[in-house]
Amino acid sequence: MDCVAKLKILLLGESGVGKSSIILAFTKGDYQAQFPATIGVDYNCKVVDVNGVKVKLGIWDTAGQERYRTLTSSFYRDAHGAILVYDVSEPKTLAKLNEWVEELQVYTTNKNIVCLVVGNKIDKPRAVTREQGQAFAQKHRMLFIESSAKTQEGINLAFEELTQKVIYLYMHLCCYIELNSLFV
Amino acid sequence: MNEEIDEYDIYHQDFTTVSEWEVFIARIEEILGEWRLAKSSIPKSAVEYTKKWITKTEEILFLGQKYTLSYHTLDFSRSSDDSEGSEEKPLMTHIHNGLWEATSSFMDDDDGSQFPVSNWFGLKRFLVLYPSFPLVDGSLIKLVMSSANIAFANVDCGVPFFVKIREHWQHTYLGFYEDNQYKISFDTIHLKRISNQCSHLSGLVSLFKSKIASPVALDAVVVSTKFSYELKDFEAFTWKKTTHSNEFLSIDGFDVKKLIELPFGSEKNPTSSVLLNAIWPKFRECTIVESSTFSDIDPLMAPTWTITLKMREKINCQLSDIIQKMMNLLEDNNLLMDTLGLSRSLGLVNPLHKITEAPITISKLVKAAIGQGRNTSEFKGPIADDLLMPLLYYIFPDAVEDDTFNYTEQLEVEFKQDSSEHKLCSYVKTSPEDGLVWRLSVTAARLYDAGGLAYLAHLWYEFAQELQYRWERRILVPGVAAGIPNARTCLLHQKLQLLNCCIKRALEGSSSFAGNSSEDEFFDCTDDEDGEEQPLWDRPAGRLNRLGEAMLKNGAPLFVPRTQDPAPKTEDQLEEDAELMVRLGDDAKASELRARMMSASLLSDMEAFKAANPGAELCDFVQWYSPRDWKPEGGGSLGDRMLLPGNPWVEAWSVARPVPASRQRRLFDETREAEQVLHFLRSRTVSGAAELLLPAILKAGAIKAIEEGVTSGTNSVGGVDQRRTYEIAARDLYEAEKEACRALCMRTVLGSSVEGKPLDSSGRARVLHATGGSLPAPVRKEFTLRVKDAVAPQVMRAALAADMTIVGAFTERIVCL
Ligand SMILES: Nc1nc2c(ncn2[C@@H]2O[C@H](COP(=O)(O)OP(=O)(O)OP(=O)(O)O)[C@@H](O)[C@H]2O)c(=O)[nH]1
Ligand SMILES: [Mg+2]
Repeated sequence: MDCVAKLKILLLGESGVGKSSIILAFTKGDYQAQFPATIGVDYNCKVVDVNGVKVKLGIWDTAGQERYRTLTSSFYRDAHGAILVYDVSEPKTLAKLNEWVEELQVYTTNKNIVCLVVGNKIDKPRAVTREQGQAFAQKHRMLFIESSAKTQEGINLAFEELTQKVIYLYMHLCCYIELNSLFV
Repeated sequence: MNEEIDEYDIYHQDFTTVSEWEVFIARIEEILGEWRLAKSSIPKSAVEYTKKWITKTEEILFLGQKYTLSYHTLDFSRSSDDSEGSEEKPLMTHIHNGLWEATSSFMDDDDGSQFPVSNWFGLKRFLVLYPSFPLVDGSLIKLVMSSANIAFANVDCGVPFFVKIREHWQHTYLGFYEDNQYKISFDTIHLKRISNQCSHLSGLVSLFKSKIASPVALDAVVVSTKFSYELKDFEAFTWKKTTHSNEFLSIDGFDVKKLIELPFGSEKNPTSSVLLNAIWPKFRECTIVESSTFSDIDPLMAPTWTITLKMREKINCQLSDIIQKMMNLLEDNNLLMDTLGLSRSLGLVNPLHKITEAPITISKLVKAAIGQGRNTSEFKGPIADDLLMPLLYYIFPDAVEDDTFNYTEQLEVEFKQDSSEHKLCSYVKTSPEDGLVWRLSVTAARLYDAGGLAYLAHLWYEFAQELQYRWERRILVPGVAAGIPNARTCLLHQKLQLLNCCIKRALEGSSSFAGNSSEDEFFDCTDDEDGEEQPLWDRPAGRLNRLGEAMLKNGAPLFVPRTQDPAPKTEDQLEEDAELMVRLGDDAKASELRARMMSASLLSDMEAFKAANPGAELCDFVQWYSPRDWKPEGGGSLGDRMLLPGNPWVEAWSVARPVPASRQRRLFDETREAEQVLHFLRSRTVSGAAELLLPAILKAGAIKAIEEGVTSGTNSVGGVDQRRTYEIAARDLYEAEKEACRALCMRTVLGSSVEGKPLDSSGRARVLHATGGSLPAPVRKEFTLRVKDAVAPQVMRAALAADMTIVGAFTERIVCL
């Protein structure tokens, strides 16, 4: 396939918020009511079209359990984008995102990483308002979107926005950085 | 002036070239149209100009010769607040205003533009037609000029148009601009020698007046003058050499300090000249007399003195030289140890040879300590011992009593996350400042500079030997940040962190054999009330602490087990892991394989958990490990996700045996890892070693530059790959070093004054004192003559040095019949 750019995208967030489900929904358009908890780190890829340009997304799924932090953080290097997921039916998962942001700041080696906050499972009765999610994203200067892996709502948009923002950012940095660092 | 053009003459005369000529004109018109330079497309209200020139170019063929047409404009931002309010003025007025303002600067000032015309005439935008050959033939000049004129008129161009004439090295341009009221001609005369008539103010004034069509009042002409004097051979202006020589090589009892600092700056005087400018910004032509026989002009009386420094084109910068030498090594793909003829004995040639069978494993430092420094069978490198030993003690200061060079206790690596200011080379991966990697790298660069590749190889060899020794004797490597390899530090630092992890683990391992581990288990047993009743094989082991009030399904308290940490890895290893995972593909099968790859530490944790909690079930484990998949109902049950058939968690649980972490197979095999690090270092190619050393050299260079007063960083953020990043960093450092040389010259020459700005009285006194009270003959004189007559501002400028340049901008009213 003739892709011009290759991006590395991370998914982070507490266990069970639906990271793997979001990836499944995005890459295969599929949903499984029951999905085994991720062990360590998993990898997926999908080619998307951004303004007529083919971009290959290497998507790194991580396990949310505390015990896996050291293992998963070693895969953060050089990521272009990160999706921080919480579960709108579980307020604790949003509070916990703070820790993931810190984690990301410590272990990423890319100063220009683009982050997207996703409030997942909006098909369920919600316990976190949209404003609360927005406030979090605003505080950390991140993109924000709500989604449901079950109904597919917001899933494609989430990846599109993130990809576009990364490409856009690198286009603008290109007087400083060499744009080729993205392109294959 | 000398080039008078009457376009109508030619228009009617020269029909022989008419077709090609028409094409030429049409082509110019086409380009002017493309660039949207008609008067109607150019902003006529006040805009805010930056100092950045934007250039467009096109090539044109005419009579078999190449011409380059270029458009130059200062970048501007439409002033946002009063863009509607500010009134529109004809472009001609803007040009006249610019011309008048420009008379307050001088012809040799630099406005950053590629051509001097913008500075001479205060132009914000202009066109230049530049022939690829010296345009000296008079009739051809006329032909080209008239073509330009016609094209200009046809598109109603809004930008002054210049044609470069004469030899390329001569700054001679003919230009014009017109609208329906006025016509300006921009003229240049360049003479290789100074003509007598124009060598002084009075002659220039008469020339000026003769060029202005309308009569001018005698005293209306305003003059500014700059006389420049070259200052040389004066004590205050001679260059004081800053650093370094390679002396340490011959002197015995040499000073380590000389070898461990990077040199900086230029060895030779980087200034090509220092000019003192005596400036009279403004006087009426009649108040000062300067003629061929008499001069009123006394530089000591000038209202303003400034200093300008001219730097040499190419300055040899010592730091950049050293860095460039190291960069050149990146091309050399031979094994570094080959330089010493050691690759065979170190087992680097034959891969079947085990590294540990290398003949020499005892470190130089140890031999020195036990007094058998001169063993005949021992490898003898090119660096003499009395030079080598102090350097090794500097890099490994813990090997000697003397603590002059000890590393600081806390080696921190500084990471500014989102500092908006760009520090010099901030994009190069770092290691602790003045840590081991830093010292080794700087010393290596200095040794290589002084003694060539053999010296570098010898140091590298001794470095690897010492690491080998430390690994064997379980002595930590000093000067390395604590903890697991930090991916934000440079690779060499990560490797040393990993080696220290190995040494630490080996130390722990051997001490636990000495009894610690059995004590652990004993402690665990007494801690546990139920322990005694249980059969031996079912006695709990490897408990860390209770998990709050949590209970197992069978009613016993839940204990968190001691676990193994995941194996520390350096970035190249992580990269390999990631690549392997990617290569597996992205179908379900691959996903399963990856889960299996990842399961090693899950299994180890499950085994430790089973050992610490006899009789535990998967749901007990999940209560600790993945609480969101645990439901409290019925004393604990699994969440739906965990109940899936064929679930890897269930599978792993079913094969896990109760084994405490202390008796499990190591997830981290310190012996293998340590040997890999040592082999990695020994088996580097020359370029590989340079790649490991360069980050710290570049960083140390940046720090040195900042110490020397370099303030500005650059906007660079590094390159596509490591090598490109090094190149960018080396280039940034070279620019910084050059700038610092320049700043240093400024300081020595100018003291506290600023280049190009008026000297204060103490500055003037300093300069005058240094020159012994009088000034030599001026090397350059410049006059600007200006007047506003009934038509517009009229300006003529003259620069008289070894050669003479006179430029003028004269406006005439167009007479319409
Ligand atoms: N109702 C609903 N359920 C969802 C949605 N997304 C995921 N789930 C369910 O939530 C559970 C957890 O989803 P996963 O995708 O495995 O969660 P994860 O974030 O990958 O969890 P870890 O791998 O343990 O970090 C699964 O049982 C999913 O079926 C959603 O949008 N709506
Ligand atoms: Mg998952």
